[in-house]
Amino acid sequence: MPNVDTSLAAEALARPETQTQIESLDLIAHSATLGVGLSHYLILSAILFVLGMIGVLMRRNAIVMLMSIELMLNAVNISFVAFSRFQNLIDGQIMVFFVMTIAAAEAAVGLAILVAIFKRFREVNIRFFEHLRG
Amino acid sequence: MGNDAVEIAINTIKLVVCFLLIVQAVPVLVWLERRGSAFIQNRFGPNRIGPLGLMQLLADAVKFLHKEEFAPAKAVKFLYYAAPVVALVPATLAFAAIPLGAPVHWDQYVFPLQGYEVSVGIVFVLAVSSLAAYAILLAGWGSGNKYALLGALRASAQVISYELALGLAIVGIIMTYGTFNFGEMIHAQEGPLHFSFMGHELVLGFLPNWGIFYQPLGALIFFAASFAESNRLPFDLAEGEAELVAGFHVEYGGFKMLLFFIGEYGHMIVASALMATFFFGGYGLGFMTLAELSASVATVVQDPNIVSLVTSLITFAVFSVKLAVFLWIFIHVRWTLPRFRYDQLMDLGWKTMLPWALFNTILTATLIYVGHL
Amino acid sequence: MSMDSFLFWFLAFITIASAVTVVTITNPIYSALALAMTMVGVSAIFVTLGAYFLAGVQLIVYAGAVTVLFVMVLMLFDLKHELSAFSRGQISGTIKVATAAALAGLLIGAIVWTVSGFERVVSKPAAPDSADGMRELSHALFTKYVFGFEVLGILLLIIAVGVVALARAKGGTHAQR
Repeated sequence: MPNVDTSLAAEALARPETQTQIESLDLIAHSATLGVGLSHYLILSAILFVLGMIGVLMRRNAIVMLMSIELMLNAVNISFVAFSRFQNLIDGQIMVFFVMTIAAAEAAVGLAILVAIFKRFREVNIRFFEHLRG
Repeated sequence: MGNDAVEIAINTIKLVVCFLLIVQAVPVLVWLERRGSAFIQNRFGPNRIGPLGLMQLLADAVKFLHKEEFAPAKAVKFLYYAAPVVALVPATLAFAAIPLGAPVHWDQYVFPLQGYEVSVGIVFVLAVSSLAAYAILLAGWGSGNKYALLGALRASAQVISYELALGLAIVGIIMTYGTFNFGEMIHAQEGPLHFSFMGHELVLGFLPNWGIFYQPLGALIFFAASFAESNRLPFDLAEGEAELVAGFHVEYGGFKMLLFFIGEYGHMIVASALMATFFFGGYGLGFMTLAELSASVATVVQDPNIVSLVTSLITFAVFSVKLAVFLWIFIHVRWTLPRFRYDQLMDLGWKTMLPWALFNTILTATLIYVGHL
Repeated sequence: MSMDSFLFWFLAFITIASAVTVVTITNPIYSALALAMTMVGVSAIFVTLGAYFLAGVQLIVYAGAVTVLFVMVLMLFDLKHELSAFSRGQISGTIKVATAAALAGLLIGAIVWTVSGFERVVSKPAAPDSADGMRELSHALFTKYVFGFEVLGILLLIIAVGVVALARAKGGTHAQR
């Protein structure tokens, strides 16, 4: 269980500029008992990212490799949104827009390339394409 | 869910009821379809079981429950059994987010007449509707049948193509009302029609302030695209009953096929409900605002709780009438128009509806910008 | 355990379980369906973080279009002969997984070491009210990031043209070797 570190919060409360900035004191109390903070979301994002990486390294089906790349991009999206929420900046969500669009476009192009490869070779397992020929 | 036990209990019951409303509406709809199509084709429909054939679907359901339940030998069992359930979920989720009547104010509680209130209503409905493509794909692949697979691929390509036109047609309405929330949109459609453009006001007292007068092109594109989304004629090549037998659900019989039908009618009901909400004022009466309606009910009944309840029931009845009108249009079009060929269908979606929807968006944006300059 | 934290742990469990299924299961179609489940899980996590619009867009774009595309392509390929789904070689496989696990450990260590203590201090209350959030999002998108937005539009145009050009190659799925 995460240890509730209220000393920093108490310090921040005592400073006069923070007093005027804080509009609702119960938010401090709420986040102290939230139980799930920024680090939880970032650790979840890290685990998903590493799972995607294992998928890219270990799997030999090119389509499953593309899917693992999508998994990595989703993990990054989670961390962007988590930062955006906890730092109260909207820029994280804008980055997610860009990442989502580019990931969808890249998936489309990757699949088109794979379809062309399949038409030619009837295989998408990368062990057939391991050796440079020519 | 609520602060105390009463509120939680009522909200839970309301959630379950709204979730199952589609399943309850389907028998009525099927009866309407069979009798309506019969009268269009100059014959009687079912008229033996029950008065006017109203018990027909009950008899059908009993028959379906008693049919032999089997899976084809080459089927992928898990996906084969999962597909009908997946077909049911998106339509019911989407319908539970649409307000069916005015909220009930009872003592200190406020109960909106929907399963759950979503602040980004439209985006949520579009998002869960887009999951409908999976049911088709799972059914086609799980059947282990090449022809079912081909039908499924065609149907899912059609569904994801028309989602675009659907979403873009809605963008015009979002810009006009400036909100994603259904309740606010319905609230903005109260009262008589009044345009305000560059400082000039135009009030037409005999017409209500409905969205159809603001976005006629958007309404047309939305309605046409929703035919394609629910795989209804004239866009039902993927399950064309006379030509492909049944497309992606050819290997399904009995109760599983009934679940697919409930899913299809569910999408029809959601599309009609959205049409009523965006373009025809939702649960509001055209000629009276909600406050006027409450006031006129309050002259008859004393208790404010009962006033609120009666107002909600009246608005629910109004919404049901609008829903019934659009469902009747769906059924009428099915038995009137011929079917599109697949390449004509895809051309229509990408080369006609998408550009017109984009044009509608640009036109709406320009008019809003110029009009409020 | 409060409702928020129960929701987070439940969704995290579902997402990670689906991600593990994507990576480990041999049949690529089940892998793609597990990926769809992961996308839905990520969308639910966005909802808990208060990004409602992004959750809807995640479902529409990722779970409703990109994964459907993957599933359609896999169903067309019909790969019954999945020989050697995982990379050969015990030693190289072990090294790969060990490296990935080491990276995971480094990342988690860095996160815990840096972030703990940060999230308890908020300088202004985060208001995940969707009307204001949406307004803020679109305002930033069209003023601060408008250049990237336009470039993204051009990129999508190029992608669309490129994909159609790639798909017009002759052959078909029953091409001769």
